[in-house]
Order: sequence, then structure tokens, then C-alpha cells
Amino acid sequence: MTEADLALGLTVLAMLGLRGTGMLLGGALRPDHPFIAWAAAVSLATLAAFVVLAIATPGGLLATVPWPARLAGVAAGVLGWRLFGARMLPTLLAGLAGLLAGWAVIAAGSGLL
Amino acid sequence: MPRPTPFRIGAIEALGAPALAMGVTFLAFGAAVAEAGLPLGWALLCSAAVYGMAGQLVLLGLATGAGAGVLPAVAAATAANARFLPMSVAIAPLLGPRRPGWKRLLATPFIAITPWAPAMRRLPGLPEHERLPWFLGFALASWTAGLAATAAGHWLAPSLPVALRAALLFTNPLYFALLLAADLGRPGVRSAVICGALAAPLALWLGPAWGLLGAGLVGGTIAFLWQRR
Repeated sequence: MTEADLALGLTVLAMLGLRGTGMLLGGALRPDHPFIAWAAAVSLATLAAFVVLAIATPGGLLATVPWPARLAGVAAGVLGWRLFGARMLPTLLAGLAGLLAGWAVIAAGSGLL
Repeated sequence: MPRPTPFRIGAIEALGAPALAMGVTFLAFGAAVAEAGLPLGWALLCSAAVYGMAGQLVLLGLATGAGAGVLPAVAAATAANARFLPMSVAIAPLLGPRRPGWKRLLATPFIAITPWAPAMRRLPGLPEHERLPWFLGFALASWTAGLAATAAGHWLAPSLPVALRAALLFTNPLYFALLLAADLGRPGVRSAVICGALAAPLALWLGPAWGLLGAGLVGGTIAFLWQRR
């Protein structure tokens, strides 16, 4: 067994522990319990923070996309949201198209195309 | 024509924008695992059982980095996915009748952002006995799409241009941004989203392992206290 295998096995157990503990805790409480409301607020805030960070200061491969192109993707997503009446799939595709178009324009402007 | 079962309705709802958003992220992950020299089985087990991209990427980076060590990699990946604890707490009471409680535990392996976010909107409007089957249908369909995309990414890694993979990764945050935008009118959601977005810079200060959870804890707690004023 390699170190990567061992790390994966232990992480799988840790994930099961996190999810299982949460299910047991949440299952014992009423839906309107303050602890449930707090957990929902924390989960939503975490998701919102994830979105902001992933668009504004992404890591990994997404960081190679220039920020004006990411901004163009968000703008196209907002436009698509209005045009397609809040339907997710065409809106997502509009956002992706906006990002690619923005990136192509930036690359053309830099003389890379 | 008979009405489709809640399980089937959930599965069909998952096989649109959610599967697309998730699929492209897992495709990129499968390709990254192949580039790191790890086998397909590692990639599939990681996607199937860790099933949270932040933790998956942290684990991949640290477990394959020179001299990183097993325990730091596990601790960092666990911290990066620690949001599963409050997410599970929040969704458990919505998954149908409290008795028998063991049935709800069937949902445990599938608590992840992609099924959780739509479920938090959808479950309260469903009859109690339809909630768990709907969630399992949605979760199994998106989980299967994620695994298929991981395998495809691992297999296609040499032929996928880096720029295309980078662009596809954008679909994931955009999808969650749209989900949050659609929910802003629901009670309690707006303040949590605004506080979470404002707390996001904290994550940069706290670092990649604890940053996201830290920002969520601070932003979510402020929103919770604000709502209870």
C-alpha cells in the first residue's frame, strides 16, 4: 500500500465520520430547532464563500483563466438568467460561452491567437 | 400514464444542469489524477467516497507531493470538507419521517453540495414519505454522473487541452451561484449568502485547509444571529 492509498483510506473514514455524525445529530432534532437553523446558515454561507473565492481568486487550473474572462462568464450567466427565465442548463451554457468568448478576445488582444 | 416515482423524478432532475456542473469538475479531477500518475481505481474511490471536490483536490495535491506525509494530507482534506458536518445536520430533519431513523442513514454517503443545495429547496415542498426517495434518486444520478466523468477524465487526460479543462471548471461555481441567486427570496437565505460572501476574504487569510470552513462559520453565525434579533 502506498502513502497515497493510505491517505485516501483514512480520508474516506473521516468523511464517513463527518457525514454520519451530522446525520445523527440532525436526525435527533426538530426541523425548527435553532441548531438546525444555525447549521443551515453556516452551510449556505460556506457555499456563498466558495462561489466568491472560486470566481474572484480561484486556485488550480481555473486560475489560468484571466479574471476579465471569468467576469465575462459571470456577466453572460446573469444575462442568460434573465433571457432564459432562470432555467439552469441554458444559463450555464451561456456563462461558459461568455467565458470562452471573453478569453478568446483577451488572447486575440495579446496577439496570442 | 402512471405518475413517475419520487426516486425517478429526483434522478431526472439531477440529469440536467447539476450533472453538467458536476461532470465537468469531476472530468478535470480524473485528468489531474492521471497526470499525477495514480491509477483509475484511486480516482474512482476518491470521487465515490470522499465525494467533495475541495477535499479531493487537497488530498490529491498533498498525497502525491514529495514528503507531504499521510496525516497532514488527511487532516487538510478533512478540514477542506468539514462543511459536510453542518450540511448533514441541516438536511437530516428534512429527509422524511423520524422513525425508522435508519432509513435516513441511506442518504449519508451522498451528502455533498450538488445534491444538498437543490434538496434544501425541494424537500420542504414534498410530502414526507416522498422526500428520501427523491433525494436518493437525485443523489445517485449525480453521484453516478460524477464517477463516469472521473473515469472519462482519467482516460481522456492526454487528449484534453488544459485551456478547455480550465474553462469547464468555471461551470461549477457558476452553477452554485445560480442556485444561490434562485434562493435569495427564501427566508433566511439572503442574509446567509450575503454574510458568507462578505466573509470570503477570511478564507484567504486562514489558508486552503481551514479557510472555507472558517469563512462559512463566521458568515453563517453572523447571519444566524442577525435573523434571531
